[in-house]
Amino acid sequence: MEIRAMHHSLRALSAVLIAVALGGCGQSDISQAPADPGPQGSGVNLAAVPQSAYPLPNENESARFLNQASFGANDAEMAKVRQFGYSAILEDQFLMPSHRTHEGYINTLSASNLGDEHVMQTFWREAATGQDQLKRRVAFALSQIFVISLQDANLQNFRRGVASYMDMLTRNAFGNYRQLLQEVTLHPMMGLYLSHLRNRKEDPALNRVPDQNYAREVMQLFSIGLYQLNPGGTLMLDSSGQPIETYGPNDIVGLSRVFTGFSWAGCPSTSTNCFNGSGTQSPNREVMPMQSFPQFHSTSEKSFLGTTIAANTTPDPVGDLNRALDVIAGHSNVGPFIGRQLIQRLVKSNPSAAYVGRVAQAFNTGSYQSGAYIVGTGQRGDLRATIAAILLDTEARTVTTSDPGKTREPILRLAQWMRAFNARSASGSFFIGTTDDPANSLGQSPMRSPTVFNFYRPGYVPPNTAIATADLVAPELQIVNEVAVVGYSNFMRSIVQNGVGSNSPRDVQPDYTAEMALAHDANLLVDRVSLLLTAGSMSAGSRSLIVTAVNSIPYPGANQATARQNRARLAVLFALSSPDYLVQK
Amino acid sequence: MRASRRQFLKTCSFMSIAGAASPFALNLAAISAAAAAEALPGYKAIVCLFFYGGNDHTNTFIPYDPASYGEYNASRASIAIPRDAALAANATGPVASQGGREFAFHPALTAFKTHWDAGRLAVVANVGPLIVPTTKAQYQNRSVPLPPKLFSHNDQQSVWQAHRPVGEGAKIGWGGRIGDLLESQNANTLFTCISAGGNSVFLSGANALQYQVGSSGPSAITSISGTIYGSQGATASTAYRSLITGTSQNLFENELGVVTNRSIAANQQLSGALPPASTLPGIPANNSLASQLSVVARIIAARTTLGSSRQVFLVSIGGFDSHDILLVQHAQQLALVNAAVGAFYSWLVQLGVENDVTLFTASDFGRTLTSNGDGSDHGWGSHHFVLGGSVTGREVYGTFSPTVFGSGVDIGQGNLLPGISVDQYAANFARWLGVSSTDLPLVLPNIVNFAALNPGFLP
Repeated sequence: MEIRAMHHSLRALSAVLIAVALGGCGQSDISQAPADPGPQGSGVNLAAVPQSAYPLPNENESARFLNQASFGANDAEMAKVRQFGYSAILEDQFLMPSHRTHEGYINTLSASNLGDEHVMQTFWREAATGQDQLKRRVAFALSQIFVISLQDANLQNFRRGVASYMDMLTRNAFGNYRQLLQEVTLHPMMGLYLSHLRNRKEDPALNRVPDQNYAREVMQLFSIGLYQLNPGGTLMLDSSGQPIETYGPNDIVGLSRVFTGFSWAGCPSTSTNCFNGSGTQSPNREVMPMQSFPQFHSTSEKSFLGTTIAANTTPDPVGDLNRALDVIAGHSNVGPFIGRQLIQRLVKSNPSAAYVGRVAQAFNTGSYQSGAYIVGTGQRGDLRATIAAILLDTEARTVTTSDPGKTREPILRLAQWMRAFNARSASGSFFIGTTDDPANSLGQSPMRSPTVFNFYRPGYVPPNTAIATADLVAPELQIVNEVAVVGYSNFMRSIVQNGVGSNSPRDVQPDYTAEMALAHDANLLVDRVSLLLTAGSMSAGSRSLIVTAVNSIPYPGANQATARQNRARLAVLFALSSPDYLVQK
Repeated sequence: MRASRRQFLKTCSFMSIAGAASPFALNLAAISAAAAAEALPGYKAIVCLFFYGGNDHTNTFIPYDPASYGEYNASRASIAIPRDAALAANATGPVASQGGREFAFHPALTAFKTHWDAGRLAVVANVGPLIVPTTKAQYQNRSVPLPPKLFSHNDQQSVWQAHRPVGEGAKIGWGGRIGDLLESQNANTLFTCISAGGNSVFLSGANALQYQVGSSGPSAITSISGTIYGSQGATASTAYRSLITGTSQNLFENELGVVTNRSIAANQQLSGALPPASTLPGIPANNSLASQLSVVARIIAARTTLGSSRQVFLVSIGGFDSHDILLVQHAQQLALVNAAVGAFYSWLVQLGVENDVTLFTASDFGRTLTSNGDGSDHGWGSHHFVLGGSVTGREVYGTFSPTVFGSGVDIGQGNLLPGISVDQYAANFARWLGVSSTDLPLVLPNIVNFAALNPGFLP
């Protein structure tokens, strides 16, 4: 392990040197205001990035890649992918600075008037217009693994804290899993959500034991899962053919003692008031990592996952935490467990074991190579290597008709519409509220999962379906139902025509100029929306239905401009409603 | 009718081959042709009210007589409900079956106390998933099969609602199995297993489908009729309907079409049949559970028009995972439950079906008796409620063990080893709806390991 890490670090070092050199020659725009410097670009010389194993993509392939690696394809980004290839775009994105933060947006608002809609606004602003698209898309995926939710009343008073949690995920999206796990664990919003903030050591006299919530979920959901996995993510079985549990109740008891003695940061660590969150508190406590309060940390023996931290006389909350996170992050399940879920969020619902295995290998070794392109620091848990392995795998880059792909979740459906048609906010603030209601809206809002188990489970199988018979999982179909299909269709009909958000006209408006220019020819128009929304994969049947519908709007009509607009809108609505769009192949 | 039953049996026997243990296979042999479903008289429905997150049962139905309350208060430290006037108002009086002990409903559950007094609300003590009757020693020695992944939310929700495959990922729930057997009683089988409370495995059978309905009732897809953005005639809307309901070789695309077709068909039938929500007086505002129950009541109201004879509903409310701020948040959630259930019963009376509908509660699990400071942790057995005009109420079924540590049912931290299995609890509802005792193992495979509750809380 140590030797391998050193070996890789040499290569990593040279990669860093190359990146620095590239940054030097590509930098152009450096005079920016500090608050919002505006898009700066990564400084990467795209033409100099070594090519992956794939030839330069065609138009459809470029759209397909961007639908996996961003919130959606658009003309400008497709042109870039076609010109420079996948690896250049990855490298560009890996080094792309985030010129805005979610917390920065919240900080521009009046603290006393914050609502969930402000978290929605900053999410949509970045999804639609952020230059660091891949990082944001991965952060969104991470927000569905390391779940906190504004639906929890405990978080309702801390929107700035939630924004800071989203920033933390974004900041770590191209970092290392071990660091990510630590920052997740110590973020006060996670501490509130899974109640290890203010968690006290046991007190037998009061029949009190440590809260077990975080100890359980950090293993079940954030790292290793319930059962021992093979490297390809399949279940390891014992001699009698049964799955092998990764942990039992005693592991949870042991680990629960580790997560004691942490609370709000920003005041003396000896203060009981501080620990309890009463008295004078730092105004920044919701955005600072939790701090330790040794007197509330358990000194009992802590046994979990085959490791025992012996009982001690001096409480060592930080030491115990580091030890525990090392053990969890070092578990052989993490690569396949996290890797498979990231594949599901970005590429497809049912990756083969070989694909998961290759991604887990990149995670474990911290390095990935495709063609001449090498990425990663060589340290276990490197997320750039993991993401590159996910996006550059042959299973990601090739369409197989027997593989159903993945259902686009409602948030991504709206985001991709914004990207494809360069939706812009008149206010600049994307005044879009929550979109929870399945009957009249998306049935899904960012950072508002119903529970820590996310909007849907990675192993969800819709009962009584051909999908179940075929032994496939379909996570996103967990939130597709008789109500949601109505809500989505009607919601999109409204926004395609009127834009989305509050105000009148609505704050966020699409730009259908390019589509309107093709509106005289239904075939050209449908080809255009098919490219943007389905990476050119629209079936002949769907295509023909849309062409027929477009042609039912007379052209030229009495008012040619109106006819063009109506035809463009209709083609977009139909494409957004088509199964070809709803399922990403 | 017969075809659907044959199909059901076929599917079950297939499953028993595929699955591990197979009480199905044994019982299939015992089922005679004479057991084929016949038309059942009248109308009956059950409504499962699921508390997501694991309800803190200890603070929901509270020991009240001085000795029992003293044990409770000593065990619960900082998270005990005070024995004050509000609690006194919700006290049951002595319960003979529990040795004359007294209990009290949580102060927020005033309607529950009213229904208790009226004799139509039963409390079932210490219910939880079990595979076989289990003693504390057997649990500690792991000498009998136990439900998988105890104490885990998603798995225990699934174990409560379904049996196989066990844990999360289960595809068939016992509500759905009841639907398999009884859907032939309905003119429209789609309206047999209906969820107003979100997606759950509970209502999925081998054949029976879970139909999900919104809280405000069915709604139409606008673009399948009329014109769209200046289109002429019905060409565009006809094409739109074809587009969103088509079949596909891609299994995900195909399923989207299937769900959309079902949605359109159901909307067409329900929209004309359901009375408007305005016919239900006093729907509590800002109460999602009440909204869900209002659409259930409207569907029940339309039972004659829809040709419904036997129905299984699911409604749900989250926010019960009270690791933290238990006293405040639990009271808020129970107040929502109280308002919603109270209103629902009044609607049943208005519709004249209060004897034909039975509502019961379920949850992931009970919670620890221990406190972690201001909350409780994941447990196992829990107390539940059954409400309806046909219920033999004003009674605590099962054994309400002393609220102390180290009792014969304390498996650690005061977590309850269930005394009544979910199968035993569920069997009452299945039998009441008309599932024969011979068919019961098809619905509840593990029921063969348990005696029937005697007396039961439903006839």
